[in-house]
Amino acid sequence: MAQSSFWKKFTRKRIWIRSVVQFFFFALIALISINHTLAESGGGIPLLSSASLHALCPFGGVVTIYQYAATGTFVQKIHESSFILMIIGFFLAVLFGPVFCGWVCPLGTFQEWLGKLGRKLFKKRYNHFVPQKLDSVLRYTRYLVLGWVVYMTAASGTLLFANIDPYFALFNLWSSELAIGGVIVLAVTALLSLFVERPWCKYACPYGAVLGISNLFRIFRIRRNPGTCNLDRVCDITCPMNIKVSEKTIVRDHQCISCLECTSEARCPVAATVEFSAGGK
Amino acid sequence: MKLNSKTLAVLIVVTLFGGITFTTLMGWWATETSKVPAKYAEGEAAGEYNPADIRGSYTFGDVSTVFNIPLDELAVAFNLPAGQDPAAVALKTLEETYGELPVEIGTASVRLFTAWYLNLPYEPEDTDYLPLAAADILRQKGNLTPDQLAFLDSHSIDLLAESPIAAPMVETTAVEVESAPQPTPAAEEHTPEDRLVSGKTTFQNLLDWGVPQTAIEGILGGSMPAPATSIRDHASAQGLEFSTLKGAFQAEVDKAAP
Repeated sequence: MAQSSFWKKFTRKRIWIRSVVQFFFFALIALISINHTLAESGGGIPLLSSASLHALCPFGGVVTIYQYAATGTFVQKIHESSFILMIIGFFLAVLFGPVFCGWVCPLGTFQEWLGKLGRKLFKKRYNHFVPQKLDSVLRYTRYLVLGWVVYMTAASGTLLFANIDPYFALFNLWSSELAIGGVIVLAVTALLSLFVERPWCKYACPYGAVLGISNLFRIFRIRRNPGTCNLDRVCDITCPMNIKVSEKTIVRDHQCISCLECTSEARCPVAATVEFSAGGK
Repeated sequence: MKLNSKTLAVLIVVTLFGGITFTTLMGWWATETSKVPAKYAEGEAAGEYNPADIRGSYTFGDVSTVFNIPLDELAVAFNLPAGQDPAAVALKTLEETYGELPVEIGTASVRLFTAWYLNLPYEPEDTDYLPLAAADILRQKGNLTPDQLAFLDSHSIDLLAESPIAAPMVETTAVEVESAPQPTPAAEEHTPEDRLVSGKTTFQNLLDWGVPQTAIEGILGGSMPAPATSIRDHASAQGLEFSTLKGAFQAEVDKAAP
């Protein structure tokens, strides 16, 4: 009985399947990264890929586009797999928006886990520390980061971003490839995650910047039905990216990560009011 | 059309793993370097593999296989350790092996050697050097232009004389290397005053040569280490390929030339 009650509570208020998918991809990438280190020393986990983290990062495909177009080669450490994952990521984004960010990215998951602690510490203040005006400007800095990374990679032909990439650092804490710059950015990201939900995603992630553009033309969107909405603003409070869902009919914000937490399936208390759907205006 | 979370989860997972499975079946999925360099797109060598695309992750075995150069000759040219299978030696290890030299012997040297060995187009950088044995092999081939021969004269280094670690390690019977027709310049001729980025160049050297710290940090993609740190040590610590950094820094040094 108690178990059933717990399960009901657990599944009612959130998109529980998203947590399962996030945990799966976090564990998968962590195991592959460990296996990569083991494989370099002659060991390894059977039947599990020992690919490098660079080979499994779709953003690697983005930064090598210029070099691939110019010379037909990839930037150092980037392989065909990165390119393929980039294409799959774009395909998913055109259909569903940046679901890679909201459902797959292990760094996003890591920040969300820390955010749970922050939410317990700061209650309602959590994720509302940054003044709105400043926040709205800072949301565009990730496009500057994107431009800088793409330019520097094209100019140098090397994956310089790996030196400050918190995602790479997170899964290489035990590896000799760990760069101090990455550790610092990871530590800052972890610390900020206690105050702000997904700070790296909001303000700095260049891949999130690329995928975020899909919010302007994606096929499946978050839609709010103004006719049934009671304007309780639960969706606004719930949104990890601080999007004012209650003020929109269709969410086109470039920061939406399609987590579905604002929908009637999760936090919105009114049935069939905030939904994930295609078609219509 | 509405989607719920469970359907979306299935679609995401199926699309990701379906895409990976499909591309694997098609032979497109690769998480490692194929060890097949790009080909020349134009010119007389169009369609040939381009040595300029040789990577530090290649082994001498890869170079031998792709470019059809005898492994014995590569071993002699680069003085590879006798107790080690030359085919398994990665090119990127050259930079560490010959790290004490005043000039750079690394992946770029193999690119140069391979291109000129096969008489393929290749424009070397002024910072590219070859071991004397490699230069001798190229001279023996007899197909170099006067300009290329002149470049070798000024850009080859006697590993035995310059580096205590470069004891004779490979039986040279595999290739008869005749004495060099031109004297090799002494290592001392290549000093920091040359404004040439080499293994021993420190970040302080770059600053002294007028390269702004912002430019250095732009290339590194992060903050500059202690000025006394050598570029090679930093590259090694950060898992970067020295030869790539060297090229970028050399361009900045040239740009800052008085």
